Amino acid sequence: MPLLDIRNLTIELATPHGPVRALERVSLTVNAGEVHGLIGESGSGRSMLARAILGLYEPNWTITADRMMWDAQNLMDMNRQQRRSLMGEDISMIFQDPSGSFDPAFTVGQQLLEAIPPNRKLPFWRRPQERMYLAQKWLHKVGIKHPRKVLSSYPWELSEGECQKVMIAMALAKQPRLLIADEPTASMEPSTQAQIYRLLTQLNQLQNVTILLISHELDTLSNWCNRMTVLYCGQVMESGPTADLLEQPNHPYTKALLDNMPDYTNPKIHKILMPTLPGSVPALQHLPIGCRLGPRCPEARRKCVTQPLLSHYKDRYFACHFPYQSEPIEDDPLA
Amino acid sequence: MAQTKIYLDDAIPSPAMKVWRVFASKPQALAGLWGVGMLLLLTLVGHYLAPFAAEFQDPDALLLPPSWNSNGTVEHFLGTDDLGRDIFSRLLYGVQLTFGTAVAIVSSALVVGVIIGSISGMMSGLKSSILGHLLDALLSIPSLLMAILVVAVTGPGLSNVFWAVGISLTPQFVRAIHQTVHEELQKEYVTAARLDGANALQIFWYVIMPNVWETVIIQTTLAVSAAILDIAALGFLNLGAQAPQPEWGTMVLQGLDSFLTAPWTVTIPGLAILLSVLSVNLVGDGLRSALTPMRN
Amino acid sequence: MANYLIRRLNLFIATSLLLIGILFYATHLFPVDLGYALSGIQYPTDAQEAQIIEDYRLDKGSVRQFLAYTGERLSGNLGVSVTSKRPISEELLLALPASFELAFVAGLIALVFGVPLGVIAALTHHSALKKFIMAGTLTGYSIPVFWLGLTLALWFGVKLGWLPISGQINLLYEIRPVTGFMLLDTLLSDSPYRIAAFRDALLHIILPAVTLAVLPFTVVVRITRAAMVNVMGQTYIRAAEARGLPYSKIVLRHALPNALIPLLKHIGLMLGPFASYAIVVEVIFSWPGIGSWLVSGIYQRDYTVIQSGILAVALLIVFSSILIEVLYTLANPLSRKEFYGSN
Repeated sequence: MPLLDIRNLTIELATPHGPVRALERVSLTVNAGEVHGLIGESGSGRSMLARAILGLYEPNWTITADRMMWDAQNLMDMNRQQRRSLMGEDISMIFQDPSGSFDPAFTVGQQLLEAIPPNRKLPFWRRPQERMYLAQKWLHKVGIKHPRKVLSSYPWELSEGECQKVMIAMALAKQPRLLIADEPTASMEPSTQAQIYRLLTQLNQLQNVTILLISHELDTLSNWCNRMTVLYCGQVMESGPTADLLEQPNHPYTKALLDNMPDYTNPKIHKILMPTLPGSVPALQHLPIGCRLGPRCPEARRKCVTQPLLSHYKDRYFACHFPYQSEPIEDDPLA
Repeated sequence: MAQTKIYLDDAIPSPAMKVWRVFASKPQALAGLWGVGMLLLLTLVGHYLAPFAAEFQDPDALLLPPSWNSNGTVEHFLGTDDLGRDIFSRLLYGVQLTFGTAVAIVSSALVVGVIIGSISGMMSGLKSSILGHLLDALLSIPSLLMAILVVAVTGPGLSNVFWAVGISLTPQFVRAIHQTVHEELQKEYVTAARLDGANALQIFWYVIMPNVWETVIIQTTLAVSAAILDIAALGFLNLGAQAPQPEWGTMVLQGLDSFLTAPWTVTIPGLAILLSVLSVNLVGDGLRSALTPMRN
Repeated sequence: MANYLIRRLNLFIATSLLLIGILFYATHLFPVDLGYALSGIQYPTDAQEAQIIEDYRLDKGSVRQFLAYTGERLSGNLGVSVTSKRPISEELLLALPASFELAFVAGLIALVFGVPLGVIAALTHHSALKKFIMAGTLTGYSIPVFWLGLTLALWFGVKLGWLPISGQINLLYEIRPVTGFMLLDTLLSDSPYRIAAFRDALLHIILPAVTLAVLPFTVVVRITRAAMVNVMGQTYIRAAEARGLPYSKIVLRHALPNALIPLLKHIGLMLGPFASYAIVVEVIFSWPGIGSWLVSGIYQRDYTVIQSGILAVALLIVFSSILIEVLYTLANPLSRKEFYGSN
């Protein structure tokens, strides 16, 4: 039973140049208890997908989907109020700009306390104390050494890493079932990045929080995720267990991504050209029809002007007319 | 090799073109622009269009209502005042006094303001803050008080309005430009230009000025509308243009005696002020919304 | 922080001295005898003349004269009025509270109605309503205040006869000034008609206050709207939404406080035009405040009134704008951000 199940989600933006399909027939399945990676270049619609799940739309978005199920409830049927209470209880999100995600006019503590749901069993006069205790507990859990000091500081007095940790503490304080992390480590140095990722995996294992991790770095995602979904230009390219995906990519785009990963093991092949796809990501106003990878794809043929459906093979999904699946690859794909 | 166009390429419009497109997409901004254009034209040729002289008194047509009233006549389109002067003609003459003076004042304040503001903005430390604070002190004297002071020294008249409003507008320009120049100076691209070996004058003209024009334009529209209102208010308080002159604020004051019997003597000049300030503000508003997205 | 306060205090002192300097210079330019312009006594006796020369050091150099002038003005000797022959300071103390009362009520009206309307204009998806609010405020911003005052007076005062159009209170009520604020004084007085007097004072203040409130109201609406639109686009509002906070809480607790910060700054900048407008409004509605006092002073070429009126108003504006800036810094954690890390 998947926790989150989205089929054929399409988001149309109304722009001055006419409607643009920023996301086209995106399907995403997140099972309970896993760390699911969502990978894509910037502009591929990753953050948009996350916001669509949370129901944080802009007025110029039109969202259609065959189904959008959260734990056997249809999200599309809910009104704004119900979505909001669901978000409050079950889903949390952390953003890529941690210090910007705090209201600068209040202390971190005030905002963290606000995020802790009141314990209805306690009489109201004991609640503040309880909340204070909980706040410190969560801060301690995410690895902050001086919870009291952090609680009484303003967001701009903390470093990005600390802010992100508090953000995670805030997201966890509600004990959500799904945590959406949208580029949680952007603009952080590698050591802090590693800390944050380690924290997230710990939470996944200890608290059983399902995590949807959004990033553009394949190598980091492949270290921390059980499953991955690859997005390009608002279309799903491929989805499957991380290990299988790395071992044998089915989709040309996934393969290209893997080829891009630097290889430090073979000293002979340094200083070769980086094997990238020709061309660049198309602008939103000039999207190709059919498979959007079409103009850049090494395998593209005439058939690619119709969008391939997501096909299912064993545990894996891919959207390609000419996948790399039939021919077994014997030689090292990293060469 | 023949070049095939895969994508439908839009020609990328120049920044000025972009501003114009955003501006022109708003009907109210265009209406304002037409209004301002009309006013500028009338400033120049209003005298020739007026059917009567400004001071011509028709003893047979005292307090004649506007033409749409059953007692009104078409000769005196907007009616006459208590001396039998044609209000329409006086309004046309008044464009030069009210709107024309406002534009003249703002242009001179602009020139002085840009010069002082740029110099003080480019300087740093004590000199800059002395210049800045000197003007802060002037800025804290409201335009009307400044006018009262000037009138106390020289006596009422339109030329004093020029000094009074000018002196109170200049610090605003200086301050706005000083701040923008100062902010731009902190930015990385200025450092980059300096590392390329540009001297202070080159940095000022080629690097900073292109980013300051926007502030100047917005400030100018704000100043023109403020200047019109100030001139009219001074005229109304009898501190500016004097009695027979067809300045709009003065016309309101003269109409005041017959306000109850002939309200149009007050209403029509007031509407003229309102409409001209409104069209300037519409242009300013349109410009501001067209220029701001470019900054971000 | 202390450093900052001292710098502001210095700024206040420097600006005040500069203002006094400007006035001192202007006094020399007045087309009358210097002693008359300084003291307000047109035909002084020999003793008075000697006193004036002694007070203002008229026999010394201009630096000494300036110091003497500053000393006299700051110690409260503003000369006597040419027309009423009474000391200026007395008249000033009578006129100031009335102006404060009017400005306070007008400012209150502007804020109480302006802030919610600005928030509504920022949040509504109803584009007709938004356009209506924006068009209305732009028109309000363009109306000449004297014309608005006259039109309101004509309609509500004369044609409909609902509201009185002149003065602070009906002169039949004898109210002893305690605070100078008529609305308070009527309530504090022990006259048997104090409730009726209070109602009368309230009716008298409506028209001038509404007329004066139009300018700040439109500015408040526009600034609040712009700031709200800006704040609602910030990440922390997204984050608050993602945390599932109710919409009202997001707007009132997170968006509004951040949007009011730029508003406070703009109020400081608006003081000058507001004072200009207040002078015109006081003249139109014969409000016995400092504005109408000053304008009648210029009509009668009462040079001492002009000097001290300008000095008082300008000092008040300098003081309030610096006060607002300091309050802004003290009340607002965001502005402390600039201090953070810098010292």
